[in-house]
Amino acid sequence: MGMIRLAKLGLLALTAGVLAATGATDTGRLPADQLEKAVRSDAISIPTPGELFAALGKLEKTNWSGQYRGPMPVTYRNRAQIALNLGGLIADGFIAVEAKDSQQVKNIGSDIIKLAKALGVSERLLGRGNSINEFAQNNEWDTLQEELEATQNEVKSSMQSHADQDLVILVTLGGWIRGTQVVTAAIMQKYDERSAKVLRQPALVRLMQSRINEISPELRQEPLVKGVSEQLNGIEKLVSFPAGKTPTVDEVRKINEAVGKVMTEIESKDLSK
Amino acid sequence: MKRSLAIFLSIFVLEASIALRAETDAEVRARKDALDIAGAFSNDGFKIRDGHWCGVVKPHDHALVAVNLYAGNQYWFSAAAEEPAKKIAVSVYDETGKQLTTESYNNEEKAAAGFSPANSGQYFVSVDLVEGEGGTFCLVYSYK
Repeated sequence: MGMIRLAKLGLLALTAGVLAATGATDTGRLPADQLEKAVRSDAISIPTPGELFAALGKLEKTNWSGQYRGPMPVTYRNRAQIALNLGGLIADGFIAVEAKDSQQVKNIGSDIIKLAKALGVSERLLGRGNSINEFAQNNEWDTLQEELEATQNEVKSSMQSHADQDLVILVTLGGWIRGTQVVTAAIMQKYDERSAKVLRQPALVRLMQSRINEISPELRQEPLVKGVSEQLNGIEKLVSFPAGKTPTVDEVRKINEAVGKVMTEIESKDLSK
Repeated sequence: MKRSLAIFLSIFVLEASIALRAETDAEVRARKDALDIAGAFSNDGFKIRDGHWCGVVKPHDHALVAVNLYAGNQYWFSAAAEEPAKKIAVSVYDETGKQLTTESYNNEEKAAAGFSPANSGQYFVSVDLVEGEGGTFCLVYSYK
Protein backbone atom coordinates (compact mmCIF):
# COMPACT_ATOMS: atom_id res chain seq x y z
CA MET A 1 0.00 0.00 0.00
CA GLY A 2 2.77 2.38 1.08
CA MET A 3 4.83 1.47 -1.96
CA ILE A 4 1.89 2.11 -4.30
CA ARG A 5 1.33 5.51 -2.72
CA LEU A 6 5.00 6.40 -3.09
CA ALA A 7 5.07 5.15 -6.66
CA LYS A 8 2.04 7.31 -7.46
CA LEU A 9 3.71 10.31 -5.86
CA GLY A 10 6.87 9.62 -7.83
CA LEU A 11 4.88 9.42 -11.05
CA LEU A 12 3.08 12.66 -10.25
CA ALA A 13 6.38 14.34 -9.46
CA LEU A 14 7.89 13.11 -12.69
CA THR A 15 4.89 14.25 -14.74
CA ALA A 16 4.83 17.65 -13.08
CA GLY A 17 8.57 17.86 -13.52
CA VAL A 18 8.35 17.25 -17.25
CA LEU A 19 5.58 19.86 -17.51
CA ALA A 20 7.59 22.36 -15.49
CA ALA A 21 10.72 21.69 -17.50
CA THR A 22 8.95 22.23 -20.81
CA GLY A 23 6.78 25.18 -19.93
CA ALA A 24 8.43 27.11 -17.13
CA THR A 25 10.61 30.15 -17.52
CA ASP A 26 12.07 32.59 -15.03
CA THR A 27 8.89 34.25 -13.94
CA GLY A 28 9.70 36.49 -11.04
CA ARG A 29 12.19 38.29 -8.90
CA LEU A 30 12.13 39.00 -5.20
CA PRO A 31 13.32 42.43 -4.04
CA ALA A 32 16.46 42.70 -1.90
CA ASP A 33 14.56 43.83 1.21
CA GLN A 34 12.42 40.71 1.07
CA LEU A 35 15.51 38.48 0.73
CA GLU A 36 17.03 40.27 3.71
CA LYS A 37 13.98 39.39 5.82
CA ALA A 38 14.13 35.68 4.92
CA VAL A 39 14.31 33.32 7.86
CA ARG A 40 17.78 31.98 8.59
CA SER A 41 17.41 28.87 10.68
CA ASP A 42 20.40 26.81 11.80
CA ALA A 43 18.39 23.63 11.25
CA ILE A 44 17.87 24.28 7.57
CA SER A 45 20.06 27.20 6.44
CA ILE A 46 23.38 25.66 7.50
CA PRO A 47 24.23 22.49 5.57
CA THR A 48 25.74 19.45 7.29
CA PRO A 49 29.27 18.21 6.48
CA GLY A 50 27.51 15.23 4.85
CA GLU A 51 25.97 17.50 2.21
CA LEU A 52 29.33 19.02 1.39
CA PHE A 53 30.98 15.61 1.09
CA ALA A 54 28.09 14.30 -1.03
CA ALA A 55 28.65 17.12 -3.54
CA LEU A 56 32.38 16.45 -3.74
CA GLY A 57 32.05 12.67 -3.83
CA LYS A 58 29.72 12.78 -6.82
CA LEU A 59 32.03 14.87 -8.93
CA GLU A 60 35.33 13.26 -8.15
CA LYS A 61 36.52 9.94 -6.78
CA THR A 62 37.85 11.11 -3.46
CA ASN A 63 40.39 9.34 -1.29
CA TRP A 64 38.37 9.79 1.89
CA SER A 65 40.56 7.61 4.12
CA GLY A 66 43.51 9.77 3.09
CA GLN A 67 41.79 12.65 4.91
CA TYR A 68 41.80 11.03 8.35
CA ARG A 69 43.71 12.81 11.11
CA GLY A 70 45.47 11.20 14.02
CA PRO A 71 43.72 10.46 17.31
CA MET A 72 42.73 13.66 19.01
CA PRO A 73 42.57 14.44 22.70
CA VAL A 74 39.17 14.08 24.30
CA THR A 75 40.24 15.62 27.58
CA TYR A 76 39.76 19.33 26.85
CA ARG A 77 38.44 21.35 29.77
CA ASN A 78 37.49 24.56 28.03
CA ARG A 79 33.82 24.23 27.05
CA ALA A 80 34.11 26.37 23.91
CA GLN A 81 37.04 24.26 22.76
CA ILE A 82 35.12 21.04 23.45
CA ALA A 83 32.16 22.33 21.40
CA LEU A 84 34.39 23.30 18.44
CA ASN A 85 36.19 19.95 18.55
CA LEU A 86 32.91 18.08 18.87
CA GLY A 87 31.76 19.66 15.60
CA GLY A 88 35.04 18.71 13.95
CA LEU A 89 34.74 15.17 15.23
CA ILE A 90 31.23 14.82 13.83
CA ALA A 91 32.61 15.94 10.44
CA ASP A 92 35.26 13.19 10.85
CA GLY A 93 32.40 10.74 11.34
CA PHE A 94 30.91 11.78 7.99
CA ILE A 95 34.35 11.28 6.38
CA ALA A 96 34.57 7.75 7.78
CA VAL A 97 31.08 7.03 6.43
CA GLU A 98 32.14 8.27 2.97
CA ALA A 99 35.20 6.00 3.26
CA LYS A 100 32.88 3.15 4.30
CA ASP A 101 35.28 2.37 7.15
CA SER A 102 33.33 0.72 9.95
CA GLN A 103 36.19 0.61 12.48
CA GLN A 104 36.93 4.30 11.99
CA VAL A 105 33.23 5.13 12.40
CA LYS A 106 33.16 3.19 15.68
CA ASN A 107 36.30 4.94 16.98
CA ILE A 108 34.94 8.37 16.11
CA GLY A 109 31.51 7.52 17.50
CA SER A 110 33.16 6.62 20.80
CA ASP A 111 35.14 9.90 20.86
CA ILE A 112 31.99 11.90 20.05
CA ILE A 113 30.26 10.41 23.08
CA LYS A 114 33.28 11.13 25.31
CA LEU A 115 33.44 14.78 24.25
CA ALA A 116 29.67 15.18 24.48
CA LYS A 117 29.70 13.75 28.01
CA ALA A 118 32.40 16.24 28.97
CA LEU A 119 29.86 18.94 28.10
CA GLY A 120 27.27 17.18 30.22
CA VAL A 121 24.84 16.65 27.37
CA SER A 122 22.02 14.14 27.45
CA GLU A 123 22.50 10.53 28.52
CA ARG A 124 20.38 9.61 25.51
CA LEU A 125 23.50 10.14 23.45
CA LEU A 126 24.87 6.89 24.82
CA GLY A 127 22.11 5.17 22.89
CA ARG A 128 23.22 7.00 19.76
CA GLY A 129 26.74 5.69 20.30
CA ASN A 130 25.42 2.13 20.43
CA SER A 131 23.40 2.68 17.24
CA ILE A 132 26.45 4.07 15.45
CA ASN A 133 28.41 0.95 16.41
CA GLU A 134 25.62 -1.35 15.29
CA PHE A 135 25.11 0.37 11.92
CA ALA A 136 28.87 0.46 11.33
CA GLN A 137 29.08 -3.26 12.12
CA ASN A 138 26.38 -3.95 9.53
CA ASN A 139 27.81 -1.54 6.91
CA GLU A 140 24.56 0.45 6.81
CA TRP A 141 26.16 3.59 5.41
CA ASP A 142 23.05 5.62 4.53
CA THR A 143 21.56 4.93 7.95
CA LEU A 144 24.87 5.84 9.57
CA GLN A 145 24.87 9.20 7.85
CA GLU A 146 21.35 9.85 9.17
CA GLU A 147 22.44 8.71 12.64
CA LEU A 148 25.40 11.10 12.64
CA GLU A 149 23.12 13.97 11.63
CA ALA A 150 20.66 12.97 14.34
CA THR A 151 23.52 12.78 16.86
CA GLN A 152 24.66 16.27 15.94
CA ASN A 153 21.11 17.58 16.32
CA GLU A 154 20.68 15.79 19.64
CA VAL A 155 23.91 17.28 20.97
CA LYS A 156 22.65 20.73 19.96
CA SER A 157 19.16 20.32 21.38
CA SER A 158 20.62 18.96 24.61
CA MET A 159 22.88 22.02 24.80
CA GLN A 160 19.84 24.25 24.32
CA SER A 161 17.96 22.56 27.15
CA HIS A 162 21.02 22.88 29.41
CA ALA A 163 21.21 26.66 28.78
CA ASP A 164 24.31 26.10 26.65
CA GLN A 165 22.70 27.73 23.61
CA ASP A 166 25.87 29.72 22.95
CA LEU A 167 27.88 26.56 22.37
CA VAL A 168 25.57 25.29 19.62
CA ILE A 169 27.00 27.56 16.92
CA LEU A 170 30.50 26.49 17.94
CA VAL A 171 29.63 22.84 17.21
CA THR A 172 28.29 23.89 13.79
CA LEU A 173 31.33 26.06 13.12
CA GLY A 174 33.78 23.32 14.15
CA GLY A 175 32.08 20.96 11.71
CA TRP A 176 32.20 23.45 8.85
CA ILE A 177 35.88 24.27 9.43
CA ARG A 178 36.90 20.61 9.56
CA GLY A 179 34.70 19.81 6.53
CA THR A 180 36.23 22.65 4.53
CA GLN A 181 39.74 21.59 5.54
CA VAL A 182 39.08 18.06 4.24
CA VAL A 183 37.39 19.16 1.03
CA THR A 184 40.08 21.70 0.13
CA ALA A 185 42.79 19.08 0.81
CA ALA A 186 40.99 16.56 -1.41
CA ILE A 187 40.57 19.12 -4.22
CA MET A 188 44.25 20.10 -4.01
CA GLN A 189 45.25 16.46 -4.37
CA LYS A 190 43.21 16.05 -7.55
CA TYR A 191 42.12 19.45 -8.85
CA ASP A 192 38.90 19.52 -10.79
CA GLU A 193 37.01 22.72 -11.63
CA ARG A 194 33.59 21.26 -10.88
CA SER A 195 34.71 20.06 -7.45
CA ALA A 196 36.30 23.42 -6.62
CA LYS A 197 32.89 25.09 -7.13
CA VAL A 198 31.63 23.62 -3.84
CA LEU A 199 33.87 26.08 -1.98
CA ARG A 200 31.84 29.18 -2.79
CA GLN A 201 29.88 29.87 0.45
CA PRO A 202 30.05 33.56 1.43
CA ALA A 203 26.54 33.76 2.89
CA LEU A 204 27.10 30.66 4.98
CA VAL A 205 30.24 32.05 6.60
CA ARG A 206 28.44 35.39 7.16
CA LEU A 207 25.57 33.56 8.83
CA MET A 208 27.89 31.69 11.20
CA GLN A 209 29.75 34.91 11.95
CA SER A 210 26.47 36.67 12.78
CA ARG A 211 25.50 33.81 15.10
CA ILE A 212 28.85 34.12 16.90
CA ASN A 213 28.18 37.83 17.33
CA GLU A 214 24.99 36.90 19.18
CA ILE A 215 26.68 34.76 21.86
CA SER A 216 27.45 36.12 25.32
CA PRO A 217 30.22 38.74 25.50
CA GLU A 218 32.13 36.59 28.02
CA LEU A 219 32.30 33.62 25.67
CA ARG A 220 33.02 35.85 22.68
CA GLN A 221 36.00 37.29 24.54
CA GLU A 222 37.57 33.90 25.22
CA PRO A 223 40.88 33.82 23.33
CA LEU A 224 40.00 30.77 21.20
CA VAL A 225 36.53 32.01 20.23
CA LYS A 226 37.84 35.52 19.58
CA GLY A 227 40.66 34.16 17.43
CA VAL A 228 38.40 31.86 15.42
CA SER A 229 35.89 34.66 14.91
CA GLU A 230 38.56 37.08 13.68
CA GLN A 231 39.97 34.53 11.27
CA LEU A 232 36.47 33.80 9.98
CA ASN A 233 36.38 37.30 8.51
CA GLY A 234 39.40 36.47 6.38
CA ILE A 235 37.97 33.08 5.41
CA GLU A 236 34.74 34.75 4.31
CA LYS A 237 36.70 36.78 1.77
CA LEU A 238 38.46 33.65 0.53
CA VAL A 239 35.18 31.81 -0.18
CA SER A 240 33.45 34.82 -1.76
CA PHE A 241 33.93 34.11 -5.46
CA PRO A 242 31.54 35.67 -7.94
CA ALA A 243 28.78 33.25 -9.01
CA GLY A 244 30.05 31.13 -11.88
CA LYS A 245 33.73 31.69 -11.12
CA THR A 246 35.74 28.61 -10.24
CA PRO A 247 38.53 28.95 -7.66
CA THR A 248 42.00 28.13 -8.95
CA VAL A 249 44.31 25.62 -7.27
CA ASP A 250 46.11 28.50 -5.62
CA GLU A 251 42.85 29.91 -4.26
CA VAL A 252 41.90 26.47 -2.95
CA ARG A 253 45.30 26.24 -1.24
CA LYS A 254 44.76 29.61 0.45
CA ILE A 255 41.42 28.46 1.86
CA ASN A 256 43.02 25.21 3.02
CA GLU A 257 45.81 27.07 4.80
CA ALA A 258 43.37 29.46 6.46
CA VAL A 259 41.02 26.76 7.77
CA GLY A 260 44.03 24.56 8.65
CA LYS A 261 45.41 27.32 10.86
CA VAL A 262 42.07 27.67 12.66
CA MET A 263 41.82 23.90 13.05
CA THR A 264 45.28 23.75 14.63
CA GLU A 265 44.21 26.33 17.21
CA ILE A 266 40.99 24.46 17.90
CA GLU A 267 42.87 21.20 18.47
CA SER A 268 45.70 22.70 20.52
CA LYS A 269 45.93 21.37 24.06
CA ASP A 270 47.86 24.48 25.08
CA LEU A 271 44.70 26.54 24.91
CA SER A 272 42.85 24.38 27.38
CA LYS A 273 42.27 25.85 30.78
CA MET B 1 -6.54 41.94 44.41
CA LYS B 2 -3.45 39.76 44.42
CA ARG B 3 -5.61 36.65 44.20
CA SER B 4 -7.52 38.09 41.20
CA LEU B 5 -4.27 38.87 39.49
CA ALA B 6 -2.98 35.35 40.18
CA ILE B 7 -6.19 33.80 38.77
CA PHE B 8 -6.00 36.06 35.73
CA LEU B 9 -2.36 35.12 35.16
CA SER B 10 -3.14 31.42 35.60
CA ILE B 11 -5.88 31.62 32.98
CA PHE B 12 -3.59 33.57 30.67
CA VAL B 13 -0.77 31.05 31.06
CA LEU B 14 -3.19 28.15 30.59
CA GLU B 15 -4.65 29.67 27.41
CA ALA B 16 -1.21 30.47 26.10
CA SER B 17 -0.13 26.88 26.75
CA ILE B 18 -3.20 25.51 24.99
CA ALA B 19 -2.63 27.84 22.01
CA LEU B 20 1.03 26.85 21.86
CA ARG B 21 0.12 23.18 22.12
CA ALA B 22 -2.42 23.48 19.28
CA GLU B 23 0.14 25.24 17.08
CA THR B 24 2.74 22.58 17.84
CA ASP B 25 0.31 19.82 16.92
CA ALA B 26 -0.33 21.50 13.57
CA GLU B 27 3.39 21.77 12.97
CA VAL B 28 3.89 18.12 13.82
CA ARG B 29 1.16 17.11 11.35
CA ALA B 30 2.54 19.40 8.65
CA ARG B 31 6.04 18.04 9.22
CA LYS B 32 4.79 14.45 8.97
CA ASP B 33 3.08 15.26 5.65
CA ALA B 34 6.17 17.05 4.34
CA LEU B 35 8.28 14.02 5.31
CA ASP B 36 5.82 11.78 3.43
CA ILE B 37 6.53 13.72 0.24
CA ALA B 38 10.27 13.72 0.87
CA GLY B 39 10.06 9.98 1.54
CA ALA B 40 8.94 9.44 -2.05
CA PHE B 41 12.16 11.03 -3.30
CA SER B 42 14.18 8.75 -1.00
CA ASN B 43 13.31 5.93 -3.41
CA ASP B 44 15.44 7.80 -5.90
CA GLY B 45 18.43 8.01 -3.54
CA PHE B 46 17.69 11.38 -1.93
CA LYS B 47 18.68 11.68 1.73
CA ILE B 48 16.33 13.65 3.96
CA ARG B 49 18.10 16.36 5.94
CA ASP B 50 17.39 16.01 9.68
CA GLY B 51 16.07 19.54 10.03
CA HIS B 52 12.88 21.36 9.22
CA TRP B 53 11.34 24.79 9.12
CA CYS B 54 7.77 25.42 10.23
CA GLY B 55 5.84 28.66 9.98
CA VAL B 56 2.58 30.20 8.88
CA VAL B 57 1.74 30.69 5.24
CA LYS B 58 -0.44 33.74 4.61
CA PRO B 59 -2.29 35.14 1.58
CA HIS B 60 -0.19 37.43 -0.65
CA ASP B 61 2.95 36.72 1.35
CA HIS B 62 6.08 34.66 0.70
CA ALA B 63 7.20 32.49 3.59
CA LEU B 64 10.89 32.67 2.75
CA VAL B 65 13.88 30.76 4.13
CA ALA B 66 17.56 31.07 3.13
CA VAL B 67 19.46 27.87 2.36
CA ASN B 68 23.08 27.26 1.42
CA LEU B 69 23.50 24.68 -1.30
CA TYR B 70 26.34 22.96 -3.11
CA ALA B 71 26.83 22.72 -6.87
CA GLY B 72 26.95 19.04 -7.75
CA ASN B 73 24.09 18.06 -5.44
CA GLN B 74 20.46 17.71 -6.44
CA TYR B 75 17.81 18.99 -4.02
CA TRP B 76 14.09 18.57 -3.38
CA PHE B 77 12.28 21.00 -1.06
CA SER B 78 9.04 19.45 0.21
CA ALA B 79 6.34 21.33 2.10
CA ALA B 80 2.91 20.59 3.52
CA ALA B 81 0.36 22.92 5.06
CA GLU B 82 -2.58 22.43 7.40
CA GLU B 83 -6.17 23.63 7.11
CA PRO B 84 -7.41 26.23 6.38
CA ALA B 85 -4.66 26.41 3.74
CA LYS B 86 -5.98 24.53 0.70
CA LYS B 87 -3.21 24.73 -1.85
CA ILE B 88 0.43 25.76 -1.61
CA ALA B 89 3.40 26.11 -3.96
CA VAL B 90 7.15 25.89 -3.41
CA SER B 91 9.53 28.08 -5.44
CA VAL B 92 13.29 28.58 -5.44
CA TYR B 93 15.17 31.86 -6.00
CA ASP B 94 18.86 32.49 -6.45
CA GLU B 95 20.87 34.88 -4.28
CA THR B 96 19.84 37.86 -6.43
CA GLY B 97 16.17 37.03 -5.98
CA LYS B 98 15.67 35.66 -9.48
CA GLN B 99 13.16 32.82 -9.60
CA LEU B 100 14.62 29.59 -10.91
CA THR B 101 13.10 26.95 -13.10
CA THR B 102 12.46 23.88 -10.99
CA GLU B 103 10.85 20.51 -11.28
CA SER B 104 7.68 20.69 -9.30
CA TYR B 105 5.14 18.57 -7.52
CA ASN B 106 1.81 20.08 -6.51
CA ASN B 107 -1.00 18.28 -4.78
CA GLU B 108 -3.33 20.68 -2.97
CA GLU B 109 -1.83 21.37 0.47
CA LYS B 110 1.40 19.55 -0.43
CA ALA B 111 4.05 20.76 -2.83
CA ALA B 112 7.71 20.29 -3.69
CA ALA B 113 10.35 21.86 -5.90
CA GLY B 114 13.49 20.16 -7.15
CA PHE B 115 16.60 21.50 -8.80
CA SER B 116 20.36 21.16 -9.18
CA PRO B 117 22.24 24.39 -8.44
CA ALA B 118 24.82 25.39 -11.04
CA ASN B 119 26.68 27.42 -8.44
CA SER B 120 27.27 26.82 -4.75
CA GLY B 121 25.97 29.52 -2.43
CA GLN B 122 22.83 31.01 -0.99
CA TYR B 123 19.37 30.34 -2.38
CA PHE B 124 15.91 31.18 -1.11
CA VAL B 125 12.98 28.80 -0.84
CA SER B 126 9.51 30.28 -0.79
CA VAL B 127 6.31 28.61 0.40
CA ASP B 128 3.26 30.41 -0.98
CA LEU B 129 -0.44 30.09 -0.35
CA VAL B 130 -2.27 29.50 -3.63
CA GLU B 131 -5.76 28.75 -2.30
CA GLY B 132 -7.48 28.95 1.09
CA GLU B 133 -6.68 30.86 4.24
CA GLY B 134 -3.45 31.17 6.17
CA GLY B 135 -2.26 28.03 7.94
CA THR B 136 0.70 26.28 9.51
CA PHE B 137 3.20 24.69 7.15
CA CYS B 138 6.41 22.76 7.44
CA LEU B 139 9.30 22.45 4.98
CA VAL B 140 11.98 19.75 4.80
CA TYR B 141 14.60 19.13 2.18
CA SER B 142 16.46 16.22 0.71
CA TYR B 143 19.63 15.96 -1.34
CA LYS B 144 21.75 13.52 -3.28
